[in-house]
This record gives sequence, structure tokens and C-alpha cells, in this order.
Amino acid sequence: MKKMDYPMIDLTDIRKRKKIMSDGAYGILLVTPALIVLFFFGLVPLFYAINLSLRHVDLTAGPAAKWQFVGLNNFRFALNSDVFFAASARTAFFAVVSVSIQMVLGISLAFLINQLRWFKGIVRALFLLPLASAPAAVGMIWRYLYDADFGVYNAALRAIGLQPLNWLGDSNVALFSIIIFDVWQWTPFVLLITLAGLQSLPKEPFEAAELDGASTFKVLRRLTFPLLSPVLILVFVLRSIDAARLYDPIATTTRGGPGAVTETITYFLYRVGLKQFRLDQASAMALIILFVIIVFAGFMLRRLMRQQSERARFN
Amino acid sequence: MRSKKITAIDIMRMSIVIAILIITLFPIYWMITTSVKPTDIILMTPPAFFFQPTFEHYKYAFEQANFAHYISNTLIVALGSTFIVIVCGSLASYAFARYNTGGGNLMFFILTTRMMPAIAVVMPFFVIFRTAGNTAIGQFLQLGLDRLGTLIVCYTIFNLPFAIWLMHSFFQDIPTELEDAARLDGYSRFKVFIKVVLPLAAPGIAVTAIFCLLFSWNEFLFASILTRDVARTITVGVGDFWTQRGILWGPLSAAATVCVAPMILFALLLQRWIVRGLTFGAVRG
Repeated sequence: MKKMDYPMIDLTDIRKRKKIMSDGAYGILLVTPALIVLFFFGLVPLFYAINLSLRHVDLTAGPAAKWQFVGLNNFRFALNSDVFFAASARTAFFAVVSVSIQMVLGISLAFLINQLRWFKGIVRALFLLPLASAPAAVGMIWRYLYDADFGVYNAALRAIGLQPLNWLGDSNVALFSIIIFDVWQWTPFVLLITLAGLQSLPKEPFEAAELDGASTFKVLRRLTFPLLSPVLILVFVLRSIDAARLYDPIATTTRGGPGAVTETITYFLYRVGLKQFRLDQASAMALIILFVIIVFAGFMLRRLMRQQSERARFN
Repeated sequence: MRSKKITAIDIMRMSIVIAILIITLFPIYWMITTSVKPTDIILMTPPAFFFQPTFEHYKYAFEQANFAHYISNTLIVALGSTFIVIVCGSLASYAFARYNTGGGNLMFFILTTRMMPAIAVVMPFFVIFRTAGNTAIGQFLQLGLDRLGTLIVCYTIFNLPFAIWLMHSFFQDIPTELEDAARLDGYSRFKVFIKVVLPLAAPGIAVTAIFCLLFSWNEFLFASILTRDVARTITVGVGDFWTQRGILWGPLSAAATVCVAPMILFALLLQRWIVRGLTFGAVRG
């Protein structure tokens, strides 16, 4: 009897469940907890930011002050604000210069390391160190390295007979000092991903090219870079998004100074919203930036991520 | 074809790489050595490379500056948020991988939330949590300015999209045949997930969890704006040594070393998966 009963019960069980819930509905059930988290804690703040941006909110005015509805005034203010545009332009400049240097250095290094004969693994591991360290913490250390009086970099400059620099205090130099820091921290990111891309390239086309006697330059231009390009573009987009919202090392080194030469958009919004407590203006500006980032990065990323994961599935 | 003989080019390549490695590792080397330098040597010009090591700065950071408190805060926040992220994230990414829920659009929407500039979220949060902190529920759940619950919420939001994408790539690697077989054996869908899929995906889930821990540990923006003393985390705590009287470089380096060292170990542990993690699972290194 038992032998008969056992599978019978299970089968009806499966059938019953199938009737209760289709695979599609089951999938939605599984996704729900994550969506609740992202909705309540991700979208609600966004709507709240829109709410803030449409009112007059000045936290210094005291708790009794009414937050009056002012329509699009804050957006009008933002689009007419020179400092807002200056901060955006500065951030764009920073991101373009910094990410370009990282891409060039990272890709060249990846090629170099890919052809190393010894210690490839150790070298790769050591390049992880800057990536893993908290930007805020190592930023403080870089402040020490950059120190005009007892910093190591100035000591090195003096030792080779050059003029010492006021790395973080000179308004002509400070932004570039931040760029150097960013390049130090993130070049390994480009390097590691490019290296992984290089190592997973198919062997056959390269062997064929070698048999045909193609020049190294031609192989690079016609084979390596086209095959690598999806990975490189993905790296570029991810890096650009991150560079555009740089905050940590600014907050722990220059705090936007001297003057405002290192004030990136995130630090600028922090100052307007949480130092001057004009959350309305800062929210309006943040929403404009959010829009720009989503338009620029969103579409790029969507195509790339899909391409990459499709490819991975068939590998 | 590469020749077996060691050529001059090989040696040149190696020396260039070593030179760049020295430049790359120098700041970290300097941080560690400064943390064990006596104070008078730290401020010497030109900088000294040889000295009698001391641990006074570590003592100062832990005894006078309350650094142990920041570490325990960071651990609570990082572990708490990672736990929520892994539970919600593994269910969701499994649904995306097997049932194609939302047909890719939903997943992409989730990725978009990760691309949001954090500053756009932190400002409304500042007001929301300030209000929540004054309510009974908020106080009970530790939600409010300078409360640990607040940070757990923030880090959960920011790590969840990442975790879903990364785990999705690991779930895709599991052959569906195994699950189908288990279904035929009479396992329910949920039982298949728990008994068959999770054990197979365990390494991937562990990798994702370590990444989440690493990101939470290193996070600075939310922590610096939403906390003051009670819930202050380690990255913000390093800044404590930037005082009115100037910067205390010794204790600061000690604190920074304590902050950076465990994450370097984690990164080395993750080495095999680091590229996959950094690209949200898109590139498999």
C-alpha cells in the first residue's frame, strides 16, 4: 500500500501547485521582496526629492516654517545658476580627463602584463590593492603624501632638483592632483577587466592572422580591438558613471577647495543641500543630474549588459 | 609563436611592470609604515625611511579615539545589510534567471537604481530619517539620523541591484536539467530552489556576499552625512584625526590601515571573481 501511495500524493501535490500558481506568477512572487525594498527605499526617496524640488525648503528656517509650493522655481534657479554649471563642467572635465588616462594606461598595462613571462598572477593580485581600499581612507593618506611641507611627493621633486608643488593648495594644480589620485585608484579596474577580456579572446583568428603574415599593428586594429570593444566600452561606461559622482576623496582631501576648483557636482550638491540647507535647490539640481546620467549611461549600459550576458550564456 | 628563450624584451617588460607596481603600491606602503612611525619622525623633511617602529598610534586610535566602536558599527551595518541583500537578492535573481520575470526590463530597471547618484537619494533620506527618528516606530527600528538601522537601509538599497545582477550570472551557470530532474522526483519549486539550486550556487552567493561586505565597509557618503557619533562607521572615523589642532598623521595612518587591510585580504580572496563582480556579472574573467 505504501509503495502505491507515496508517488500518488506527490503527483497530485505538483498538479495542485501548478493550478494555484503559474511559473510566471511564481517568478513575480520571488521578485517581490526585492522590489518592495527597492520601491520603498529607492523610489520613495526619489518622489520625495521631486516633492522637495517643487517647494521652498530651507532647513535653517526652523521646524515651524511651512514648505510652500513654488512650482518649477527651483529648476529655473538651477538652470540659471552659474555655480551649478561650473560644478557640472568641472565634473565633466574631471571625468573625461581622468577616465581617458585610466583607459589608456589600463589597456596598455593589460597588454604588457598579458605578455609577461613570470609572476603574472602575483602582479595581477598586487594591482587589486588600490581598488580594494576605501577611497575616503586612502584619500586622507594621499593628503599626507601631497603635503606641501613634509609630503613625500615634494621630497621626491626636491631630490631631483625640481620646484616643489602645493599639490592640494594651488588652484592651478589641485584638480589635477585629484585626477592623479583617481587614476591611481581606478586604473587597476580598467587593467583587470581588459586583461580578463584579453585572456578570453579566441585563439584561432590570431593563429590564422599569424599564418597570413599580418603585421602586429594590423592584428591589433583588425582583430584584438574589435573583439575587445564590447568589454572596453562597458568598462568605459561604468568608469564614467562612477567618475561623474566622485565624492569621497574630495570630502577627505580638499573639501572642494581651494576656492571651488575641486568642487565636483556631488560635493557641490552636498554643500548646497546639507551645509546651506537649501534642500529644495539641491534636489532640483540633483534631479537634473540624475536625468542626464540616466539618459547618457542608461541606454549604453542596457545594450552592453545584454550583449555581454548573452555572450556569456553561450560560452 | 613565442620562443622559449628569454629575450631582452621579456626583461624590459618585467622591469616596466615592476616600476609601475612600485608607484602603485607606494601609497599603501607609506600608510602602513607611517602608522608605526614615532610622531617626530612622521613630520621630518626629507621623509625618513628607517626608524624604530612603535605601536603607540594604534593604541591611541583604539583607546582614545573610540575606534573599536566604529568597527563594531561598521560590522553590524555591513553584515545586517548583506544578509537582507542576499535573502531578497537570491530569490529575485533566481526568478530572473529561470522564469525570465519581467522579460529583462525589470532587471534593467533594477540596475538603473544602482546608477543613481547617491547624493540625489541622501538628501530626501536626510529629511525622511530626521522625521522617522522622532516617531516611536522609528526609534524602535533604529531608523533616524545617527542610527544604525538607517545605514542598513541605505546599504541594502545600494547593494541589492549589484547583488541581483551578480547572482544572476551565477544562477545562469547552473544547468536547468538538474532542476528538472528534481521536479520530476516530486520536489516543489521552492524545495528545488532550497535543496538543489542554493547548494550549487553557494560559491557564487558567497562571492556576492563578500562583495557586498566590501562595498558597505568602504562606503563613505551615506555614513558621513547620516551619522554623527552613535552610528559613525570606520571610513568616517578615519577623518576624526583631522582635528582643530591639525591632522594627527600617526593615528590617522593607523586607522586607515585598520580600515584598508581587511578589505585587501577580502579582495585577494575574491581574486578569481573580481572581474565578474566589478562588471555586475557581465564579464566572466
